[in-house]
Amino acid sequence: MTGDGRGFTLNGKPASLRAPDNAVLVDVLREDHGLHGCRIGCDQAVCGACTVLVDGTPMAACSTFAFEVEGRSVLTIEGVANASDGAPDPIQRAFLEERGFQCGYCTAGMILTTRALLERDPDPTEATIRAWLGAGVCRCTGYSAIISAVHTAARLLRQGSV
Amino acid sequence: MDGLNDKVGGGTRYAFDAALPGMRHAKLLRSPHPHARILGIDASHALALPGVVCVVTGEDAARLPDPHHGFSVRDQPLIAIGKVRYVGDPVAAVVAMDERTALAALELIAVDYEVLEPVPTLDAALAPGAPVLFDEPHPGAPLGVGAGSWSRNEPAPNVLYEYGYARGEIDTDLAGAAHVFTDSFAISRISHYYLEPYSGVARIEDGRIELWTCNQDPFMIRADISRMFGLPVNDICLHSPMIGGGFGGKSYCKLEPLIVLMAMKARAPVRLALTLDESLLTLTKHAGVLTLTTGVDAEGRLIARRSELKLDGGAYADASAMVALKAAYRVTGPYRWKSVFSRASIIRTTTIPAGSYRGFGGTQASYASECQIDMIARRIGLDPYEMRRRNLLDVGEPFAPGDSGMDSDLRRGLDEVCRRLGYHERSQHPGHRNGRGMGLAIGIKDGGGTGNHAQATVTVSHTGAVTVSAATTEIGQGAGSTLCRIATRTLGLPLANARYAPIDTDRTPLNNGTHVSCGTTVTGTAVQRAAEDARAQILEFAAEQLQCPAADLTLEESGQGWAVRRGADLHPLAPLIMSWFGGVGYVFIGRGGIKVPYDERSPVRARNLFWMPSWAGAEVEIDRETGRLRVLQLIVGGDAGHAIDMASCVGQIAGAALQAYGLSLFEELRYRDGAQPENADPRAYRVPMASDLPDRFDCFVEEHGMGPGPFGAKGLGESGMLAVTAALANAIEDATGARVTTTPFTGERILAALDGLDTVVPMDQRSAAE
Repeated sequence: MTGDGRGFTLNGKPASLRAPDNAVLVDVLREDHGLHGCRIGCDQAVCGACTVLVDGTPMAACSTFAFEVEGRSVLTIEGVANASDGAPDPIQRAFLEERGFQCGYCTAGMILTTRALLERDPDPTEATIRAWLGAGVCRCTGYSAIISAVHTAARLLRQGSV
Repeated sequence: MDGLNDKVGGGTRYAFDAALPGMRHAKLLRSPHPHARILGIDASHALALPGVVCVVTGEDAARLPDPHHGFSVRDQPLIAIGKVRYVGDPVAAVVAMDERTALAALELIAVDYEVLEPVPTLDAALAPGAPVLFDEPHPGAPLGVGAGSWSRNEPAPNVLYEYGYARGEIDTDLAGAAHVFTDSFAISRISHYYLEPYSGVARIEDGRIELWTCNQDPFMIRADISRMFGLPVNDICLHSPMIGGGFGGKSYCKLEPLIVLMAMKARAPVRLALTLDESLLTLTKHAGVLTLTTGVDAEGRLIARRSELKLDGGAYADASAMVALKAAYRVTGPYRWKSVFSRASIIRTTTIPAGSYRGFGGTQASYASECQIDMIARRIGLDPYEMRRRNLLDVGEPFAPGDSGMDSDLRRGLDEVCRRLGYHERSQHPGHRNGRGMGLAIGIKDGGGTGNHAQATVTVSHTGAVTVSAATTEIGQGAGSTLCRIATRTLGLPLANARYAPIDTDRTPLNNGTHVSCGTTVTGTAVQRAAEDARAQILEFAAEQLQCPAADLTLEESGQGWAVRRGADLHPLAPLIMSWFGGVGYVFIGRGGIKVPYDERSPVRARNLFWMPSWAGAEVEIDRETGRLRVLQLIVGGDAGHAIDMASCVGQIAGAALQAYGLSLFEELRYRDGAQPENADPRAYRVPMASDLPDRFDCFVEEHGMGPGPFGAKGLGESGMLAVTAALANAIEDATGARVTTTPFTGERILAALDGLDTVVPMDQRSAAE
């Protein structure tokens, strides 16, 4: 077990990291922190449903040891909306506007991937978007609506929408 | 955040997330052999492991009144009894305090197998003297059929089911045709690959069973559990939370009876959540070989078609019989014929059971039919577009004698594809027929189910809050939102007033399952009628209060809340209702239902409720050196009749089309050495990613206004899958002159076709050949 002194930042707040050394991040997030928005799909870093941002970088929580995030900042889908009033952020609004989801199982991963992409490239080309979204599987939408949502999110963010 | 927002906020809860106090966790031990007798199971070491609660095997199952399930042929035990029939067949189930312990206990179970010869392919299963998967016939009535059709359960060893349909003088007509062509097409086995692994939680309290499951057919599962456990249906309650994708893979009975049996033996709530690897071992789409003999006259008019479909049903029945029936009945496509003979057989093999996958055999049938139509056009020197135009059914023309008329303008949809694709200008491109080409296809399937029925309620509170209750599950198609739109549009109230009630079989009105694109048309009609009933009650109440005829009143949303309008006067309803009822208010309960009648004069025993055409066009570029296929354009369209929610309709077409695109380009669940699955895991099994998209992917939805559903709507959820594969194969021939007849269209297969080789490899030899 990691000691009580170890911790990480979870959705902007300090959190303790009490997990066996072989625990993976997705189980810690779901079981210890109740963050079920981090989905388990393939459980082998293929489908992207468990994607979280670790210091802003997309990582598959199913294939990341919990101890790897010690001292780092983890953002899950539950930390994306406005903390005080729950209002969706511009990327979430774009996904709603463009219906960038059907069953919703991949959606958290897609939104967090989009966030990382737009932080690096505020005005991505279609090819860049396809390449980034290629880190995850959506079996429902055929991707068109998700790609539209990324374009819309980029526009909302460039317009300084909050 | 509302229900829609929860998907973007992470708050949506799936069956995978279901948890109950005191819940135990289960894991399954699966057969490593494709075919073996179980001589004994020693679970003593597993039971001795601290934290293990119990182990369930076929011995427990055999004590039930009926341990088998399966649609029309009940041959699948809820856990293996005496024999295993595919790699992955569940043999023992461990219930433990946590998943980790359950997994560790699996390793401690010793199973003594007598290994039997596998029956991995269609040819192996049908060979004289082939080992049989089952020694005895099974209970279950063959699917009911009507005029010209036959339907037989287990007609021969290793044959699960046969459906056939014949009309006219097929031999005479083929003999008299100007040209007769016979072609065979092979389609690969693909996986549903929904993202939420198959999951469920059961608890038994006061003798009542409660089950939270990702299955899309709550009432069907309730009936299965009732029969298998010998319990009345009102002792069983199924809950259907949001489902994380299904595409048919979560329809019909799966693991639910096993979860119930585990909860009974454990005397505690039990959760079974498969991994996605295991989900891939649960169900596939049917692979098969389809051989079509088609006669045409000198002008390219279709005369007669004889079709023989052999579909690989895998180890157990699941919904295979329905797939065979639908595939054979539809294999003539949306065309006019003088005579038809169609037969489909489901062959049992020692592979993963096959079942419904977005259209019950529709993809297989449309693929073979639309490839051959194109091939015939090119052989007799007709443009494939013109060939189709000459033969398409007109609006109102019956699909078959005794069946309903075509309720889409098939030429209009085809012309729209051609316009978007630039089909008629294709010969102007310098690369045309030199590695670059275009193909068209029109898929067709019946929709709404056969003799289907559904019930619904729409309740309206004194404040105008609307609750829609029906059993169409939320699986990503937006059922709740669409049904709420139908209800509020009928009532004349804003959509924001409506909520879709959570589904549980104790309270929710019954339907037959979330199938066959029936949600909008069948359940939607029940909802519309329930809303009309509620509206009538509201207006009658208001008329009595206002001392006027109900016919003078209309409902509307006003600045003072919902109200009735009588001419220029607006009467807010909340005060009117409260002044009469007092207390905590009142709720108007509207009830609605629909039953599509059976009709023995129709080939499949009911006139089809609506037709689902799918128009597709593709432009491809082939690298002659490598055979590499690049899809420059993929255009796919459907007909919603009237789109209740256009964005949802387009999303359904796009999602289905991309699944067919995967099947066409690279998806295939393969078996190694004919016995072991080679890529039945989410890493090795490739599905389309955003990076695989065609350069241009354009989906459209037409509204031809002829649907039987609310406001002229009809379903289209499955249709987008039907025509894509044939359109791509046809484009490859247009580009190169070479024909590929086996999916997926890999570089190797295209190269082989370019080399003039016939790529129809018998299913039997496929794995060996690659």
